Amino acid sequence: MNPKNVRIEPPDLSHYEENRSKFPLDELAKYAGKHVAFTPDGTRILASADTWEELDVLLDAAGIPLSQAVHEYVEPPDEIWIF
Amino acid sequence: MSLVFPYRLKSVNQPILTLGGRWSRPRPLIIVSIIGASSTRVTLGLLDTGADDTVFPQHLAAPLGIDLSNAPIGYMRTANLGRAPVRYAQVRLRITDGVEQRDWPVWVGFTPVPLNQPLLGFAGFLQFFTATFHGDYEKVELTVNSLYPGT
Repeated sequence: MNPKNVRIEPPDLSHYEENRSKFPLDELAKYAGKHVAFTPDGTRILASADTWEELDVLLDAAGIPLSQAVHEYVEPPDEIWIF
Repeated sequence: MSLVFPYRLKSVNQPILTLGGRWSRPRPLIIVSIIGASSTRVTLGLLDTGADDTVFPQHLAAPLGIDLSNAPIGYMRTANLGRAPVRYAQVRLRITDGVEQRDWPVWVGFTPVPLNQPLLGFAGFLQFFTATFHGDYEKVELTVNSLYPGT
Protein backbone atom coordinates (compact mmCIF):
# COMPACT_ATOMS: atom_id res chain seq x y z
CA MET A 1 0.00 0.00 0.00
CA ASN A 2 1.13 3.57 -0.51
CA PRO A 3 1.68 5.81 2.51
CA LYS A 4 -1.98 6.77 2.64
CA ASN A 5 -2.93 3.11 2.63
CA VAL A 6 -5.01 3.56 -0.48
CA ARG A 7 -4.42 1.35 -3.45
CA ILE A 8 -3.74 3.33 -6.59
CA GLU A 9 -4.85 1.64 -9.76
CA PRO A 10 -2.50 1.26 -12.73
CA PRO A 11 -2.24 4.51 -14.67
CA ASP A 12 -3.98 5.20 -17.95
CA LEU A 13 -1.29 4.57 -20.56
CA SER A 14 -3.55 4.86 -23.59
CA HIS A 15 -1.70 7.92 -24.92
CA TYR A 16 1.77 7.06 -23.68
CA GLU A 17 3.20 5.50 -26.82
CA GLU A 18 1.81 8.19 -29.11
CA ASN A 19 3.17 11.06 -27.02
CA ARG A 20 6.41 9.37 -26.02
CA SER A 21 7.28 8.72 -29.67
CA LYS A 22 7.14 12.49 -30.23
CA PHE A 23 9.51 13.27 -27.35
CA PRO A 24 12.56 14.94 -28.97
CA LEU A 25 15.60 12.66 -29.17
CA ASP A 26 17.95 15.59 -28.58
CA GLU A 27 16.09 16.45 -25.39
CA LEU A 28 16.22 12.82 -24.29
CA ALA A 29 19.94 12.74 -25.03
CA LYS A 30 20.48 15.11 -22.09
CA TYR A 31 19.54 12.19 -19.83
CA ALA A 32 21.99 9.69 -21.32
CA GLY A 33 23.00 7.10 -18.76
CA LYS A 34 20.17 8.09 -16.43
CA HIS A 35 17.01 6.42 -15.22
CA VAL A 36 14.06 8.71 -15.90
CA ALA A 37 10.41 8.81 -14.90
CA PHE A 38 7.89 9.94 -17.49
CA THR A 39 4.34 11.04 -16.87
CA PRO A 40 1.79 8.33 -17.76
CA ASP A 41 0.77 10.35 -20.83
CA GLY A 42 4.38 10.32 -22.08
CA THR A 43 4.71 14.06 -22.48
CA ARG A 44 7.05 15.00 -19.65
CA ILE A 45 9.99 13.77 -17.58
CA LEU A 46 9.20 13.98 -13.88
CA ALA A 47 12.61 13.11 -12.46
CA SER A 48 15.93 11.49 -13.32
CA ALA A 49 18.70 9.75 -11.37
CA ASP A 50 21.77 7.60 -11.79
CA THR A 51 20.02 4.46 -10.54
CA TRP A 52 16.46 3.17 -10.53
CA GLU A 53 16.48 3.07 -6.72
CA GLU A 54 17.59 6.71 -6.52
CA LEU A 55 14.86 7.65 -8.96
CA ASP A 56 12.26 6.06 -6.70
CA VAL A 57 13.61 8.04 -3.73
CA LEU A 58 13.27 11.28 -5.70
CA LEU A 59 9.71 10.47 -6.76
CA ASP A 60 8.79 9.57 -3.19
CA ALA A 61 10.27 12.81 -1.91
CA ALA A 62 8.27 14.74 -4.49
CA GLY A 63 5.07 13.01 -3.38
CA ILE A 64 4.61 11.27 -6.72
CA PRO A 65 3.20 7.75 -6.34
CA LEU A 66 5.65 5.27 -7.87
CA SER A 67 2.77 3.61 -9.67
CA GLN A 68 2.00 6.81 -11.54
CA ALA A 69 5.38 7.17 -13.25
CA VAL A 70 6.78 5.31 -16.23
CA HIS A 71 10.37 4.20 -15.79
CA GLU A 72 12.86 4.20 -18.64
CA TYR A 73 16.63 3.91 -18.82
CA VAL A 74 18.24 6.26 -21.32
CA GLU A 75 21.25 4.55 -22.77
CA PRO A 76 24.48 6.38 -23.39
CA PRO A 77 24.90 7.03 -27.13
CA ASP A 78 28.15 5.10 -27.44
CA GLU A 79 26.98 1.75 -26.07
CA ILE A 80 25.68 -1.24 -27.97
CA TRP A 81 24.03 -4.34 -26.56
CA ILE A 82 25.46 -7.78 -27.15
CA PHE A 83 23.86 -10.47 -25.00
CA MET B 1 -6.21 -8.64 -32.85
CA SER B 2 -2.55 -7.94 -32.32
CA LEU B 3 -0.69 -5.43 -30.28
CA VAL B 4 1.78 -3.46 -32.35
CA PHE B 5 4.76 -1.69 -30.82
CA PRO B 6 7.13 0.45 -32.86
CA TYR B 7 10.77 -0.11 -31.97
CA ARG B 8 12.25 2.52 -29.70
CA LEU B 9 14.98 4.58 -31.32
CA LYS B 10 18.17 5.18 -29.41
CA SER B 11 20.23 8.09 -30.70
CA VAL B 12 23.97 7.58 -31.10
CA ASN B 13 26.96 9.88 -31.35
CA GLN B 14 28.35 8.57 -34.61
CA PRO B 15 26.95 6.94 -37.76
CA ILE B 16 26.32 3.23 -37.31
CA LEU B 17 28.45 1.39 -39.84
CA THR B 18 26.48 -1.85 -39.55
CA LEU B 19 23.18 -0.08 -40.19
CA GLY B 20 24.17 1.82 -43.30
CA GLY B 21 25.31 4.96 -41.54
CA ARG B 22 22.09 5.81 -39.73
CA TRP B 23 22.16 7.77 -36.46
CA SER B 24 19.80 5.72 -34.35
CA ARG B 25 19.43 2.16 -33.19
CA PRO B 26 15.99 0.50 -33.15
CA ARG B 27 15.19 -1.63 -30.11
CA PRO B 28 12.22 -3.92 -29.28
CA LEU B 29 11.41 -2.19 -26.00
CA ILE B 30 7.83 -1.98 -24.80
CA ILE B 31 6.01 -0.56 -21.82
CA VAL B 32 4.90 -3.18 -19.30
CA SER B 33 3.00 -2.79 -16.04
CA ILE B 34 3.78 -5.19 -13.23
CA ILE B 35 0.91 -5.41 -10.79
CA GLY B 36 1.43 -6.72 -7.27
CA ALA B 37 -0.80 -7.12 -4.25
CA SER B 38 -0.52 -3.50 -3.23
CA SER B 39 0.76 -1.44 -6.11
CA THR B 40 1.81 -1.20 -9.74
CA ARG B 41 5.02 -0.22 -11.49
CA VAL B 42 5.28 0.76 -15.12
CA THR B 43 8.54 0.41 -16.97
CA LEU B 44 10.14 -0.10 -20.32
CA GLY B 45 11.09 -3.75 -20.81
CA LEU B 46 13.18 -5.54 -23.41
CA LEU B 47 11.53 -8.25 -25.49
CA ASP B 48 14.33 -10.78 -25.18
CA THR B 49 14.07 -14.02 -27.10
CA GLY B 50 17.35 -15.10 -25.47
CA ALA B 51 16.04 -14.88 -21.90
CA ASP B 52 14.54 -18.02 -20.37
CA ASP B 53 12.50 -16.14 -17.76
CA THR B 54 10.87 -12.77 -17.30
CA VAL B 55 12.98 -10.94 -14.75
CA PHE B 56 12.61 -7.67 -12.86
CA PRO B 57 14.97 -5.85 -10.51
CA GLN B 58 14.51 -7.03 -6.93
CA HIS B 59 14.03 -3.56 -5.46
CA LEU B 60 10.61 -3.38 -7.12
CA ALA B 61 9.23 -6.30 -5.12
CA ALA B 62 8.57 -4.78 -1.69
CA PRO B 63 6.72 -1.69 -2.96
CA LEU B 64 4.55 -4.00 -5.04
CA GLY B 65 3.58 -5.87 -1.88
CA ILE B 66 5.68 -8.94 -2.67
CA ASP B 67 7.56 -10.70 0.12
CA LEU B 68 10.49 -12.58 -1.38
CA SER B 69 11.84 -13.95 1.90
CA ASN B 70 10.37 -17.42 1.34
CA ALA B 71 10.07 -17.24 -2.42
CA PRO B 72 11.21 -20.06 -4.68
CA ILE B 73 14.76 -19.41 -5.80
CA GLY B 74 16.69 -20.12 -8.97
CA TYR B 75 19.81 -18.83 -10.64
CA MET B 76 20.41 -16.85 -13.78
CA ARG B 77 23.59 -16.29 -15.73
CA THR B 78 24.14 -12.92 -17.30
CA ALA B 79 26.58 -12.02 -20.01
CA ASN B 80 28.56 -9.60 -17.85
CA LEU B 81 27.73 -10.31 -14.21
CA GLY B 82 28.01 -14.06 -13.94
CA ARG B 83 25.65 -16.18 -11.85
CA ALA B 84 23.00 -14.43 -9.79
CA PRO B 85 19.99 -15.52 -7.73
CA VAL B 86 16.44 -15.06 -8.94
CA ARG B 87 13.47 -15.23 -6.57
CA TYR B 88 10.09 -15.98 -8.08
CA ALA B 89 6.69 -14.53 -7.24
CA GLN B 90 3.24 -14.31 -8.77
CA VAL B 91 2.15 -11.00 -10.24
CA ARG B 92 0.04 -9.74 -13.11
CA LEU B 93 1.57 -8.21 -16.22
CA ARG B 94 -0.26 -5.74 -18.40
CA ILE B 95 0.64 -4.33 -21.80
CA THR B 96 -1.16 -2.00 -24.15
CA ASP B 97 -0.37 -0.44 -27.49
CA GLY B 98 -3.02 2.22 -26.94
CA VAL B 99 -5.60 0.21 -28.85
CA GLU B 100 -5.65 -3.21 -27.25
CA GLN B 101 -4.77 -4.24 -23.72
CA ARG B 102 -3.66 -7.61 -22.35
CA ASP B 103 -3.41 -8.56 -18.68
CA TRP B 104 -2.37 -11.96 -17.33
CA PRO B 105 -1.27 -13.72 -14.13
CA VAL B 106 2.25 -15.02 -14.17
CA TRP B 107 5.33 -16.09 -12.23
CA VAL B 108 8.22 -13.69 -12.72
CA GLY B 109 11.71 -13.52 -11.29
CA PHE B 110 13.28 -10.78 -9.20
CA THR B 111 17.05 -10.42 -9.13
CA PRO B 112 19.51 -8.24 -7.21
CA VAL B 113 21.44 -7.81 -10.46
CA PRO B 114 21.11 -4.11 -11.34
CA LEU B 115 19.08 -4.46 -14.53
CA ASN B 116 18.49 -1.22 -16.40
CA GLN B 117 15.18 -2.62 -17.60
CA PRO B 118 13.26 -5.86 -17.09
CA LEU B 119 13.90 -8.74 -19.44
CA LEU B 120 10.68 -9.99 -21.00
CA GLY B 121 11.77 -13.53 -21.75
CA PHE B 122 10.10 -16.79 -22.68
CA ALA B 123 8.53 -17.96 -19.40
CA GLY B 124 5.87 -15.54 -18.32
CA PHE B 125 5.87 -13.42 -21.43
CA LEU B 126 6.87 -14.62 -24.90
CA GLN B 127 5.40 -18.08 -24.29
CA PHE B 128 1.93 -16.51 -24.42
CA PHE B 129 2.35 -14.67 -27.71
CA THR B 130 3.23 -15.17 -31.30
CA ALA B 131 5.83 -12.44 -31.67
CA THR B 132 6.67 -11.12 -35.10
CA PHE B 133 9.68 -8.86 -35.29
CA HIS B 134 9.32 -6.74 -38.41
CA GLY B 135 12.88 -5.68 -39.11
CA ASP B 136 11.84 -3.73 -42.16
CA TYR B 137 9.12 -1.72 -40.45
CA GLU B 138 10.93 -1.66 -37.10
CA LYS B 139 7.97 -2.78 -35.12
CA VAL B 140 6.99 -5.88 -33.19
CA GLU B 141 3.59 -7.49 -33.33
CA LEU B 142 2.31 -9.58 -30.43
CA THR B 143 -0.67 -11.88 -30.91
CA VAL B 144 -1.95 -13.95 -28.01
CA ASN B 145 -1.68 -17.71 -28.52
CA SER B 146 -3.47 -20.73 -27.08
CA LEU B 147 -1.39 -20.65 -23.88
CA TYR B 148 -2.37 -17.11 -22.99
CA PRO B 149 -3.97 -17.25 -19.51
CA GLY B 150 -5.31 -13.72 -19.20
CA THR B 151 -7.89 -11.27 -20.43
